[in-house]
Amino acid sequence: MKVFFATDIHGSEVCWRKFLNAAAFYKADLIVLGGDVTGKAMVPIVAHNGYWQAVVRGETIRMETRAELENVQKQIRDKGFYPAVVTPEELRTLSAEEGAVDRRFSAEMLHSLDRWLDMADTKLGGGKIPCILNGGNDDFFEIDPLLEASAVVNFGEGKALDLDGFHLVSMGWTNPTPWDTFREAPEEELKVKIDAAVSQIPDLERAIFNFHAPPYGTGLDEAPALDETLRPMHGGAVMKPVGSMAVRDAINSYQPMLSVHGHIHESRGVKRMGRTLAINPGSVYGDGVLQGAVLELNAKKGKVTRYLLVNG
Amino acid sequence: MATDAVGSETPTLFLRKATGLVRGWSVRDSIIYACLATNFVTLGLYEFTFAGPAFPKGQMLTAVLISAVWVSFLVVAYSGLIVTIPRAGGDYVWQSRILGSGLGFVMAATGWWFILWLWAPIYGNILSVQLFQPLWATLKWTWPGGGAAWFGTDTGIFVVTLITIVLAGVLVSLGMGGYARVQKWCFLGGMIGFAVVVILLLVNSHQDFVNSFNLYGKQLFGVNNAYNATNAAAAKAGYSTSPFSFGPLGPTMLLVPAMMFFILWPNWGATLYGEIRGASDFRRVFTGMFAGLWITVLCTVIFFLLIDKTIGWGFYQNLNSLDYNLTPQFGIWPYPFMYAGWLVHDTAFQVILILVLSLWFFAWVGTLFLSSTRVIFAAAFDRVLPDRAAEVSEKRKVPVYSLILMLLPAAGLGAVYAYSTTFRSYTLDATLVIAVTYLFSAIAVVLLPFVKPDLWRASPASRIKLFGVPVVPVSGLITIGLLVFNLYEWLSNDLYFVNSHDSLYYMGGMYVLAIVVYVVARIVRKRQGIDLGLINKEIPVE
Repeated sequence: MKVFFATDIHGSEVCWRKFLNAAAFYKADLIVLGGDVTGKAMVPIVAHNGYWQAVVRGETIRMETRAELENVQKQIRDKGFYPAVVTPEELRTLSAEEGAVDRRFSAEMLHSLDRWLDMADTKLGGGKIPCILNGGNDDFFEIDPLLEASAVVNFGEGKALDLDGFHLVSMGWTNPTPWDTFREAPEEELKVKIDAAVSQIPDLERAIFNFHAPPYGTGLDEAPALDETLRPMHGGAVMKPVGSMAVRDAINSYQPMLSVHGHIHESRGVKRMGRTLAINPGSVYGDGVLQGAVLELNAKKGKVTRYLLVNG
Repeated sequence: MATDAVGSETPTLFLRKATGLVRGWSVRDSIIYACLATNFVTLGLYEFTFAGPAFPKGQMLTAVLISAVWVSFLVVAYSGLIVTIPRAGGDYVWQSRILGSGLGFVMAATGWWFILWLWAPIYGNILSVQLFQPLWATLKWTWPGGGAAWFGTDTGIFVVTLITIVLAGVLVSLGMGGYARVQKWCFLGGMIGFAVVVILLLVNSHQDFVNSFNLYGKQLFGVNNAYNATNAAAAKAGYSTSPFSFGPLGPTMLLVPAMMFFILWPNWGATLYGEIRGASDFRRVFTGMFAGLWITVLCTVIFFLLIDKTIGWGFYQNLNSLDYNLTPQFGIWPYPFMYAGWLVHDTAFQVILILVLSLWFFAWVGTLFLSSTRVIFAAAFDRVLPDRAAEVSEKRKVPVYSLILMLLPAAGLGAVYAYSTTFRSYTLDATLVIAVTYLFSAIAVVLLPFVKPDLWRASPASRIKLFGVPVVPVSGLITIGLLVFNLYEWLSNDLYFVNSHDSLYYMGGMYVLAIVVYVVARIVRKRQGIDLGLINKEIPVE
């Protein structure tokens, strides 16, 4: 079985489109997206009389036709941001009213995800190509019901999915970060979640862990060290391990054949942990490049026979 | 969901709470890194000893200024690459992405891995001549046999090279965290040491210098009337230099390729830029490298002016010429900072000054293997090298195999360097091979808008224009001009010692080795059912 795994596309529409095409491109039997699906920023496009205006990458852009508007919206989406068309009044409300931005953000995210699922329906032949998705720590919980209800993608969170002799178990939760994001939990709690999920797997020899947090201290979890004001130390050249100890301990004790991770974009790499091959393909979604791992699994032997990290 | 609004009067962007939203890193740190990479003390002083006598009609001050202006365009070009593809791995990532995986690997392997084997003995030699030799001489230590001069012997050079290799290996093993802190303090100490030298050369007269030089020349080395003896020996060898000035331009331009030995590295930290918010900020990235480069230039200009004022330009060049002809005055490398220390007639002060100034070396030595190990890791993750090359020991967190791939060849070449004076003259190979790697990155930045138009349009670098012309690709073109000029001079002019057959074989061998590694990897992986050609193949969007 050939699997394509990618992660952390953070709202980048160009990466999502590439992800949907990855099955055909790499001749994969299954595609998996390991969390952090939604974007981090929203760009207001202000509708004036006869034109629209937005600031994109520091440049003020004036759009006079609907085609120009759509082109700018595409640029914003490809970068991983949400374009929000607003009137000047709405923009003032967003700035002034408490909670208004959050509400609009949620609406744009859900609307965008809905569009993405429609795209998936077309590209994946209405579910003919299996696709597994789960949230990451940066994804708010409102996306879960949308994914769960989808007929095109399988929402993997907390479940052990049977994949022709393999069992894949997913978890989007991570150990705490300095940003206090949505799916964070202390290590002890993570351990409980992992154990609960893993207990559903009948055969650990053929198990695949799809845990958003990488295992601690394995080189798959190195991020720039930050000071107390969240400023990278020493020009960003100093890295420190920030992964999860619960994830590391689970891999060491359960020894699945494969463990795929994300969360730490700059820590692209591969690590052997006993019989487990642990991989973090990293992410460069901002460049419009989909980093991923192409994995060939042998059900008989219960091992990963080939792997390749790619920049698609 | 807490959010932040960005925009001066009305918001232009709303950010929600999410991982990785960090404040920009301090530009000061990258200035220090760039300043240490273009290390005016370790690399600069070392190179001046060669450059002055090799091109006596050229003017080093003008050459440094021309070089720095030209290299500033390289800084712009690299800033463009960093903000467009802000990835750890630098040249390897950019060239692989823009020009192709094979070329990216060959250029990165030669420029950031193989050639650094040769840098190890160069680093070692610099440690020898800027710390051990002056320290031993000042303290009149006679062990090992020959005292200070022993460090200039073949065995002395080899032993210090091994010390350097171990030191660099230990620093890589300790991790960048601790080293970065050490680096900062060493930079501060080194700067204080340089400030002391400046004050000494500023407040003392030429006659004071002559008197001190004669005094310690006799006291430490037993040479009578050392000042006049130096001038006489240089004259006897047929050496004469031009007075300190700005021209003429022709011979001065020949010094530019020599100055690259220290001026060409403000972008050395480019391999270390990861995906952090600041790396997308062109001004921040540019300022770090540009300021680091020009602080180095400022230090160099101050040094040259004070040499001329107090030591005497002609005398300084005479000292260098004796070393260039392998007959150094006092039998050791002419370390101008040691002579400056002699202006204070106190051994303890002189020793402390030498030790403090050696901090320029210790702040810099860790950079020797740091980038190499990153390139080896990246190549292993790309399956070009065996997986084992990227292994890190569980217990000690030491990248064992990548270090072996650096340490063993470096030690071997250290021995060749130490025991073969011919090989020692290939020092500029070290610059040349990296310049070739830079050349392909400069080509990549010029081609970027055409090869990856979407990536270019999305980059902050595309918005930097002068009279409507994008500055970054044009800077890439000017950088290509700089590198082609240097490569032409290195390869056509005997005085740089790199166009000999042996030197060309040595360099060619490295490129062949890199190509062989890549081709073998392609074949082996293909047999294993892995197509390395897929690594950078773009997935269609539609």
